Amino acid sequence: MSLLEIDGVTKRFGGLVAVNDVSFEIDRGEIVGLIGPNGSGKSTVFNCIMSIYDVTDGSITFDGTDITDHRTHEVVNSGLSRVSQESNPIESMPVAGNIQLFTLPNSVTSLRGGASDEEIYEYAARVDIEDKLREMPDELPHADVRRLEIAKALATEPDLLLLDEPFAGMNQAEITELAATFERFREEGITIVIVDHNMGGLMNLVDRAIVINNGDKLMEGTPTQVTEDPRVQKAYLGTAEET
Amino acid sequence: MSSATDRLSTVTGRLDQSLQPLADGFNRLVGDYVGELNGLQFALVFGSLAAVLTAPFWGTFGLVRAMTVAAIWAIFAMSWDIQSGYTGYISFGHSVLSGAAAYTTAMLVHNVDPELSMAITIPVSILAALVVGLLIALPSLRLSGPYFSLITFVAVLIFYRLIPSFSAYTGGETGIQSVEVFTYDPIARYYYMIVPMLVIAVVLTVIARSNIGLILVSIRENEAAVNAAGIDATKFKIFSFALSSIPMGIGGVLLVHFTGGVDPTTFIVVDRSIEMIAMAVLGGMSSILGPLGGAFFLIVLRDYILTDLAGLSSPARWTIFWGLVLAVLVFVREGLFRKLWHTLERYGGGQP
Repeated sequence: MSLLEIDGVTKRFGGLVAVNDVSFEIDRGEIVGLIGPNGSGKSTVFNCIMSIYDVTDGSITFDGTDITDHRTHEVVNSGLSRVSQESNPIESMPVAGNIQLFTLPNSVTSLRGGASDEEIYEYAARVDIEDKLREMPDELPHADVRRLEIAKALATEPDLLLLDEPFAGMNQAEITELAATFERFREEGITIVIVDHNMGGLMNLVDRAIVINNGDKLMEGTPTQVTEDPRVQKAYLGTAEET
Repeated sequence: MSSATDRLSTVTGRLDQSLQPLADGFNRLVGDYVGELNGLQFALVFGSLAAVLTAPFWGTFGLVRAMTVAAIWAIFAMSWDIQSGYTGYISFGHSVLSGAAAYTTAMLVHNVDPELSMAITIPVSILAALVVGLLIALPSLRLSGPYFSLITFVAVLIFYRLIPSFSAYTGGETGIQSVEVFTYDPIARYYYMIVPMLVIAVVLTVIARSNIGLILVSIRENEAAVNAAGIDATKFKIFSFALSSIPMGIGGVLLVHFTGGVDPTTFIVVDRSIEMIAMAVLGGMSSILGPLGGAFFLIVLRDYILTDLAGLSSPARWTIFWGLVLAVLVFVREGLFRKLWHTLERYGGGQP
């Protein structure tokens, strides 16, 4: 049984169909790319999975449970975590506090609890920001703010990590290092879906890619199949011509 | 200028060091629950506590009376703070909660049985505040943005208009003035107010410094991040309103047994809600003890210094009151007592 099943998901905003009848499955232990030109609906799919948006139609099943109508915190507690495209740390708390928030129990009677300092250090160490725990988010360079976002997602102990444009704004050395980090996550048992509009860098990392264009699923396949597919090339070239 | 500051901090640093062993003892004992202090902060907290506890023995009648009123308002300001100050969902209607408790007490005595024991009226009244709090919180806290504040505001207006509509039960504009006071002894009366205030201050401080306080602040800073952390922000918002309603109810009950009655002007009008906010803001929002300090500062100023000592008229007193609040909003946005707290931190000798 696959870990995540997206079945006929449609999301309309008024008259605009952002995602149209998209279905795909993710198996445990995979790293899958969800790719497509800018504005094709990739992030909307993530937002539907995380219940930021309610789906118009279709269903989302995670680990055998229908999570379509779950609320965001319930989706997170079932084992899914998303790293957004925009970083949004809490500016008034240091890195450690930002990570700690993601380990706190969802209980109004729990005064203590949450991760110990050692555990927070471990989460930070998995993305190499363990020496910045006392720094404030606005003191960090861009790449470290992105790493903090990933550390926060890790702190919820996810089985499946949704990464939205994780490489955006990074230089080549940082991209290579981060890709190696994602490989380590997979070895630790985390399944990963990565959204990116830039096909190039992603194709060495992913086992499979799913291509979305204008809200429709165009195709899915191995990186080679995808890059050689004329429809995919046309979708990307088409956008290039329009912009 | 900076050398003067340096010289001052040499002196205060030494003072801080000499008080540090006491502060360390405190930190070891309860630091995990309420936060750690340096020597100077320890002196401020326990100096103030000693002053408050001994006030009837050194204060004048007028000062003690003002501090009695301040204790009740400190409860209101702290209760407002744990909800509005921490979550950033600003309530303009907290007088509805204390008013609900006070009116429950007065209406039980007036309409049901004048001999009704406080053992019954007090818990029922606090429960009434909680019920009203949940009635406001459940529908409104699912919304975000300005809607919550507007709903709390409208709640006060409705409550205020309902009172004359049911004047047979509520006493209308003049209210109900047949509630028993706790005591006529001003010293005993002072402790009737101070002891619950101190208990509420400790309980709310412990909660504010726990996971729950961290989550409430995170809701204010970034509600989406709280949900993404697997935490139900809506549940915590409603909880904070309930957590606020209970001490609001306690304060309402204390106030009705202090004044010996209720009326809409003393208890309900929106001015009362705004005054709670003013005290919390002046002291320093989202710190619990800041609003407590703000309440004492403003009420002792208004009811004792400007009244008994300066002999000013009521409009002049209120103008100074609000002028001061405005000045703090413009020049010391973090609040007077938070500013003081951080100054003591800076002038302390640092961790040895």
